[in-house]
Amino acid sequence: MKTIALVALSLIIGTVLAISPVWSQDEMTVVDNTDFPNAQRPPSVFVHDRHNENAGIDDCAVCHHVYDEGQLLEDESSEDQRCVDCHYLERMGDQPGLMEAFHANCKGCHEQEGNGPILCGECHVR
Amino acid sequence: MHSFYNFVSGPLAWIAFLLFIGGSIFRIGRMLVLVAQKEPFIFTYMSWRYSFRSILHWIVPFATVNWRRQPVLTVVTFAFHLCLLAVPVFLLAHAVLWEDSFGIRWWSLPDTLADTLTVIVILGAVFFLVRRITRPEVRFVTSASDYVILAIVSAPFITGFLAYHQWFAYPLMMGLHVLAGDIMLAAIPFTRLSHMIFSPFTRAYMGSEFGKVRHARDW
Ligand code: HEC
Ligand code: HEC
Ligand code: HEC
Ligand code: HEC
Repeated sequence: MKTIALVALSLIIGTVLAISPVWSQDEMTVVDNTDFPNAQRPPSVFVHDRHNENAGIDDCAVCHHVYDEGQLLEDESSEDQRCVDCHYLERMGDQPGLMEAFHANCKGCHEQEGNGPILCGECHVR
Repeated sequence: MHSFYNFVSGPLAWIAFLLFIGGSIFRIGRMLVLVAQKEPFIFTYMSWRYSFRSILHWIVPFATVNWRRQPVLTVVTFAFHLCLLAVPVFLLAHAVLWEDSFGIRWWSLPDTLADTLTVIVILGAVFFLVRRITRPEVRFVTSASDYVILAIVSAPFITGFLAYHQWFAYPLMMGLHVLAGDIMLAAIPFTRLSHMIFSPFTRAYMGSEFGKVRHARDW
């Protein structure tokens, strides 16, 4: 009886552990850092929907922007694309490199607002 | 929430860099003026060849009699100074700040390597501290300022190490780390840490006098 209970228990725990990553894919909790070869820091904390709700950001294009020849297009947004689709590892002219794009976007707003994390370890939490 | 950090990494950091660079230029300038006034004949025997010959010998481990005489001290001294310079100059986090703030790209070490080099600096400082306390011949020439200097130099590394690992009160530690760095930078020209700027001149002078005047080696 005890053995069966143990086996059943481990099966349940195993199943939960196995499917939980699938569940959590629905909600974005960190910014994916796998585009950086040999990433040096833990991925930055970023609970997408909760963050934007708390920060009161309604306009998706604040982050998911679209430029045309250096001009920001007011009414368009690019949430169907990833930052890395346009921001390569190295800077290209006026187009910041990937890390710089994230830091300027994220830390830039936090500094400007005087609210939100600005220290390395507040985003790259170990 | 970030006001302490913003103050030490903003206005105070500018003041620290200004004191470091301005102070260094001032100290070198004043040294040259003093030499010109009091012992101008030194300029007549300064020699590039003997200067660099001396500097070269003294920056290579075990290339001088003094370095060979105390092998343990020599190894620790070289490891300590090398890491002391390499870590702050080539730390990834510092490079990231240069890039984010001024768009300047700079070389950097992998974080895990920099972490190890930091531990070497801290252990080196502990070695020097223990040596000062336990060796009678060293204690004899030690004053309170030697301990203060050791504290000034090791503080940025201890706080940086703790901040990197996010072990205690992270935001506070980050602020303390920057403050410790500001203090160290500003202290360099005005304390015995000035050997950082003066040692090449001292060696050049010794090398030239020994080489050109006494026709002897100074290593
Ligand atoms: C504060 C910045 C920011 C704002 C505002 C923002 N996003 Fe995002 N969003 C991101 C980042 C960063 C990513 C990850 C991009 C990457 O990995 O390249 C992302 C990813 C996404 C993704 C794809 C990833 C996924 O699985 O969720 C979608 C879809 C998305 N955002 C939609 C939106 C919409 C719709 C809005 C407006 C309601 C919005 N975002 C507002 C920063 C933001
Ligand atoms: C469709 C392509 C594209 C996508 C996707 C994109 N960007 Fe950009 N981004 C650009 C271009 C082009 C520029 C250069 C603008 C200029 O010429 O000044 C730019 C500039 C920037 C800048 C500097 C100017 C500014 O707006 O502050 C930041 C920061 C930035 N991007 C962050 C991001 C982030 C973060 C993401 C992902 C959430 C992202 N970008 C997604 C094309 C894109
Ligand atoms: C347009 C402004 C803005 C942008 C862009 C922005 N943030 Fe924020 N962020 C805020 C504000 C405001 C807060 C504080 C919200 C609060 O008071 O809870 C915040 C809080 C946070 C927090 C702490 C609270 C939480 O949600 O966990 C994290 C982490 C964070 N931001 C990460 C990011 C990252 C990563 C990015 C870039 C992908 C980013 N932010 C871009 C404005 C912004
Ligand atoms: C506001 C949040 C935020 C802050 C503050 C921040 N970063 Fe980042 N950083 C990011 C995001 C988002 C990325 C994109 C990839 C990821 O999630 O790590 C990133 C990427 C990086 C990368 C490239 C990926 C890697 O791990 O090698 C490095 C290095 C990095 N950051 C270092 C730092 C350092 C050092 C500091 C402090 C000086 C810092 N960051 C501060 C959000 C932040």
